[in-house]
Amino acid sequence: MNRRILLGDEAVAKGALDAGISGAYAYPGTPSTEIFEYIRSTAAQESLPVHACWSTNEKVAYEQALGMSYAGRRALISFKHVGLNVAADPFISSTISGVHGGLVVVVADDPSMHSSQNEQDSRHYARFAQIICYEPADQQQAYWMTREAFDLSEQLGIPVMLRLVTRLAHSRSIVAVDDPRPQNEASFCPDPSQWTLLPSNARRGFERLLNNQPQYRSFSEKHPANQLLISGQGKPGVIASGIAKGYVQEVFKDRLTEFNLLYLGVYPLPLAKLRELIAASSEIWVFEDGYPLIEQQLTGDGLHDSVTVRGKCSGDLPASGELTPDLVRQAFGIQVRQGLVASGADEVLRSRPPVLCEGCPHADAYLAIREALDEFGEVRIMGDIGCYTLGFYKPYEGLHACICMGASIGMAAGISHAGLRPVLCVIGDSTFTHSGMTPLVDAARENTDMTVVILDNSIVAMTGGQPTMLAGESLSSLLEGLGVAKDHVRVIRPLPRNHEENVRVIKQEISYSGLSVIVARRECVTYYKEIKTAQRSREGGAQ
Amino acid sequence: MKQDILLCGVGGQGILSVAYVIDQAAMESGYFLKQPEVHGMSQRGGAVQAHVRVSDVPIASDLISQGEADLLLALEPLEALRYLRFLTPEPGRVFSDITPFANIPDYPDPVSVCEKLWRLPATLLVNGAHLAKKAGSPKAQNMVVLGAASGYLPYPSALLEKHIATLFARKSERLVNVNLNAFRMGRAAGDFCDLLIRSGVSGELAARLIPWLDFQPWPVPEPVAASWLSFFANPRAGEVINRLWSEGVAVALDEEVAGCLLAGKLPGTAAAGSVSSRTHPRFTAKPVINRQ
Repeated sequence: MNRRILLGDEAVAKGALDAGISGAYAYPGTPSTEIFEYIRSTAAQESLPVHACWSTNEKVAYEQALGMSYAGRRALISFKHVGLNVAADPFISSTISGVHGGLVVVVADDPSMHSSQNEQDSRHYARFAQIICYEPADQQQAYWMTREAFDLSEQLGIPVMLRLVTRLAHSRSIVAVDDPRPQNEASFCPDPSQWTLLPSNARRGFERLLNNQPQYRSFSEKHPANQLLISGQGKPGVIASGIAKGYVQEVFKDRLTEFNLLYLGVYPLPLAKLRELIAASSEIWVFEDGYPLIEQQLTGDGLHDSVTVRGKCSGDLPASGELTPDLVRQAFGIQVRQGLVASGADEVLRSRPPVLCEGCPHADAYLAIREALDEFGEVRIMGDIGCYTLGFYKPYEGLHACICMGASIGMAAGISHAGLRPVLCVIGDSTFTHSGMTPLVDAARENTDMTVVILDNSIVAMTGGQPTMLAGESLSSLLEGLGVAKDHVRVIRPLPRNHEENVRVIKQEISYSGLSVIVARRECVTYYKEIKTAQRSREGGAQ
Repeated sequence: MKQDILLCGVGGQGILSVAYVIDQAAMESGYFLKQPEVHGMSQRGGAVQAHVRVSDVPIASDLISQGEADLLLALEPLEALRYLRFLTPEPGRVFSDITPFANIPDYPDPVSVCEKLWRLPATLLVNGAHLAKKAGSPKAQNMVVLGAASGYLPYPSALLEKHIATLFARKSERLVNVNLNAFRMGRAAGDFCDLLIRSGVSGELAARLIPWLDFQPWPVPEPVAASWLSFFANPRAGEVINRLWSEGVAVALDEEVAGCLLAGKLPGTAAAGSVSSRTHPRFTAKPVINRQ
């Protein structure tokens, strides 16, 4: 067996490659991005026949992967937690249609919102969809669980979820990997009716899913990752799921036998093991990185107190934020070590939030927008997700809302409908193709009075420079095709030397009572080289 | 054997490259390894850190607990202060660059930041910006800090250098040499600091002097070292070092220099960039909205 240093994300990616995937589908998002990146670069280096192209958004990724699965081959889907909201529609229904080739959806959650707008826990989605979910405790387990998940998905005919958290996704360790399994031959399953979710078929599919629940539960009950260690009657019980296992082991080291332990790595919850733990223990501590999903199930959402459960809901652990070994200590009243202190350090310490890079085109665009808006009184700019969200901070203060991918255009339309004009919104080129096109179709149909600024830096910069779907001339043609009046599709180049001209264009379009789209187009300074390389290869391909 | 290292700096400074070199050396030495790091939004000029946990027994937690790191490697002095609480009070060792990365409008006085660091029980400060530039690229600051700390890592220099070479070979042969030289200059600084302290120089005085010496990618020759030991025997040593901080110049490492400095001269100096500069050349804060 071959050993190598891998991120948790990369261990998943390697597990998927070694499980014989024929396709990987994803949209970039922290902390999941490196899963797909590893597959793409490995497939390229080793000339593996694996389809690996970024998808326009997570829903598209899911559907492409589902198609590959229907064709009998194995496919991996990966995105961040909020990406599953975008892909929720095909995700939920694919549990009813079932799958053919192994289909594994890896969702990377971000407790503490290091780089996200919420900290939703994807295990809830798995429970909602009534499928099996793996939650690895370390990088090695991430590798094996991913491989196993493909076999399981194929054997049970359902999609299987694997849930990561930031701390595992972005932590490296040495992982032993095994020989790869060959890819599946393409083949259709004999009965296509199960894929056609007309009510009559869907009812059958849903019944199959419901009937299989005991089988999933018994799988989880027997799984070695759900490990019950009873040390003695009346001792406190500790449940540690996923990465929390390592934290509990770190804190208690050679004192672990003072507890009855249940390590969890596979859902649905193994009820027999839980019953055994509860029967043997004086109280139950629950450590899980994310929402109190296990804790709430143990107490029936607080409905009964037949067992004393301690965790987030009981107030023994913080209700939000990521779990750490120090939080495990504090929950048990163990003193956290006082680190080294430099006297007077607090007087000089300042926070250092991320900022737009020196020379960033978004900075020049925001400066022009702000000046153009000066004469219009109070204006709220609807924003979106990307590097340009950092324009919220001083000195730009260039956006006043950021909810989810693609929301800016729809929200701006709503404000315009409410009559608080002028209305302006900003959205990046990649966010626009992700989910900004559909609300723009609405706005074009109604000629909604608002100005959309597309900040086109020709790359997906925040997540590390992935290629964008559409930029440059093809983006302009798309805008016209969506129904935006040609005269009101304006292109500016956000540079200090164009500042006055840019302010003039923005003012003109704000003054127009109807829909305008201004494309502020200049390449990202940080990924300039990558953009030029991609452009050259596109031009080369066209010849 | 167990060694926990906290690496910190500003997004884009090259923490992940330092982590890569240590990770590879640890694996090749047969140790267990856990190494969490930061990706995403903070990589755009925010505060970033990585934990490197190495042990000869399996490691349970990816994260280092507060007060348990053995070493702190900082590519920026304000970031060293930010993550100090992770270091063991026993005491943990600090290796920090003195070069401020002033991409925030309220960056404090850089000398007062360094002062907090040199007063700690075990600190080595290096002038990464100066040495890296001398090595051939300002981006090699990270390798200067790694070199400075390398005497405290359980790997031979040759092993670390092998992985530095592998890392930069993907880019160019020139960058391999630049980074190896930056690493070796840092190593020379670290070894010289240890020599001074072993010879009875106070850790604080040694930490204050080191950033202003013009290290070469090889060890400080013995006669030069001896001249600096006699420098520290002089009660005016501290005063002379203060002058180096205010002038922001690096002095050559030859036998005459220490004596000349005591005589009130600044011989054979190279401009090393004043630390009191409030803006970083690569990353200045933007002006307020209207450019005019």
